[in-house]
Amino acid sequence: MGDELLALGGAFLAAGVVARLGRRIGLPTIPLFMLAGIVFGPHTPGVAFVEDPRDLALLASLGLVFLLFYLGLEFTVDDLVDGGRRLAAAGGIYLALNIGGGLAFGFALGWGAREALVIAGVIGISSSAIVTKLLVELHRLANPETRLILGIVVIEDLFVALYLAILQPVLSGTQGVAATLTSFGKAFAFLIVLGSIARWGSGFVGRLISSDDDELFTVCFIGLAVLAAGLAEELGVSEAIGAFMIGVVLAASPSADRIKRLVLPLRDAFAAVFFFAFGLSINVSDVASVAGPIGGAVILTVLVNAAAGLAAARLYRLGAEPATNVGLTILARGEFSLVLGAVATAAGLDGRISPFVAGYVLVLAIAGPLLASRTPWIARRVPAPLISSRR
Amino acid sequence: MNEGQPAGLGVFEVALPGIGHRYTLPAADGGRVVVVIHHSGRSDLYVFPPGASVDQPPSATIWLTDDQARRFGAVLGGAYFKPAVVADVETVIGDLLIDWVTVRADSPATDYSIAELEIRRRTRMTVVAILRDGATVLAPEPAERIRAGDRLVVVGRQEDLGGFLRHVVGPGDG
Repeated sequence: MGDELLALGGAFLAAGVVARLGRRIGLPTIPLFMLAGIVFGPHTPGVAFVEDPRDLALLASLGLVFLLFYLGLEFTVDDLVDGGRRLAAAGGIYLALNIGGGLAFGFALGWGAREALVIAGVIGISSSAIVTKLLVELHRLANPETRLILGIVVIEDLFVALYLAILQPVLSGTQGVAATLTSFGKAFAFLIVLGSIARWGSGFVGRLISSDDDELFTVCFIGLAVLAAGLAEELGVSEAIGAFMIGVVLAASPSADRIKRLVLPLRDAFAAVFFFAFGLSINVSDVASVAGPIGGAVILTVLVNAAAGLAAARLYRLGAEPATNVGLTILARGEFSLVLGAVATAAGLDGRISPFVAGYVLVLAIAGPLLASRTPWIARRVPAPLISSRR
Repeated sequence: MNEGQPAGLGVFEVALPGIGHRYTLPAADGGRVVVVIHHSGRSDLYVFPPGASVDQPPSATIWLTDDQARRFGAVLGGAYFKPAVVADVETVIGDLLIDWVTVRADSPATDYSIAELEIRRRTRMTVVAILRDGATVLAPEPAERIRAGDRLVVVGRQEDLGGFLRHVVGPGDG
């Protein structure tokens, strides 16, 4: 027991110290937690806190559960409806370009069809956490494009839920049309049942676990979240989607804000373990061997995001600088890419996916905030015909 | 993108998913102040100079903790100090008006009781409190005598305020 506590304490501290150093030069924390896992892992010389990533497996999966649970808690239909058709169009264009580009790139790599489907998500979905943090830290909350950026992120979050629901049956590698249809059916039945509870039964679920006492309340909603995740996993739907959907259910209950406040420190701590544990499994020489695909994916992501940003800005008739801000802020990749990397590894897909995801997230984690903080300079170099003239 | 839905009194509101709410307030000099209230309780203030286009960065940004923001709001709301020039500021809720007036030595009401003045019958306004020598007389009795220097808190309809001022405070203003 002492050994395990030493390992876990070392993991937390290593992640915290590396992320602190990175914060000084304005880097986001998520990729740095992962970097700490690579540096202090078994594949790199020097201190290794944890010899076997599987030692942290349960705690890391709690990180995944809390990440998705919190995402569900933050999700409200109002945020989508408020944006109207224009936001739906902007989000649709963003997803079509990014997921489409990622899927084409995945097939071009030739690692396999299931691998391509994972890579589409890795490349296509931005990091809600990093995008939100960037907007706050760059003092852009008052900007005209900020609502649009956050709206696109909300649409992406909804997409993540549907995408994970589709992905799991595909990854489990069921053979035959009937078996595949059954697992799709199970996934969507699960979504529909929990979606209906969110729509009509959230008051009941809220009362079931509600308590004036923070301690009792926390214990109950954690139990509910972890149970739903486990149940989903048992049904073959993926624990992530179970945690997300129970978050959506509780988001509609009156105690949503209180749950968010109470679960936040848990999410931060266990998510750090999840990112660290992902880093542990990464071998630097494996990352070097997929340097070519990483470089290609980064260039593709920058181009596709710039295009999607310009297209969304045209819809909203925004100028050059807001248009550039949209494309470059939403470029950040982080937790979802890593979640998908972990899902792919767990499903036994091509071993190159994990190092690919690690390298890709690291490069974009450094390049994204750097580019986003220099948009005024970049915006002046955007060719005028690409910008909406009717303002 | 527009600045959001009108939230009343020239304030525009827009929800920022995952962050909180954003309020845009016009300033007297033609500039604007944007307040972002985070779910975490933190508040950001962005100040834009007069004539700033939507693409222009703010001329100042500052952030406050929940506690600081509440104190800042209370200062602006006049909880600590009311500038002399707006001493007779009125608060209107629906068609209900709450106002406070100061009685002078030469006011018609000085040294008369509320019953003698027939304030409610003649002005249709009600004195709900008297602030006197740092103490408060809540819901004063009809026999309560009004003295010079009293601050009267009155409630009624906006259109009745003028008659009340003439009857109780006298020429000039409260």
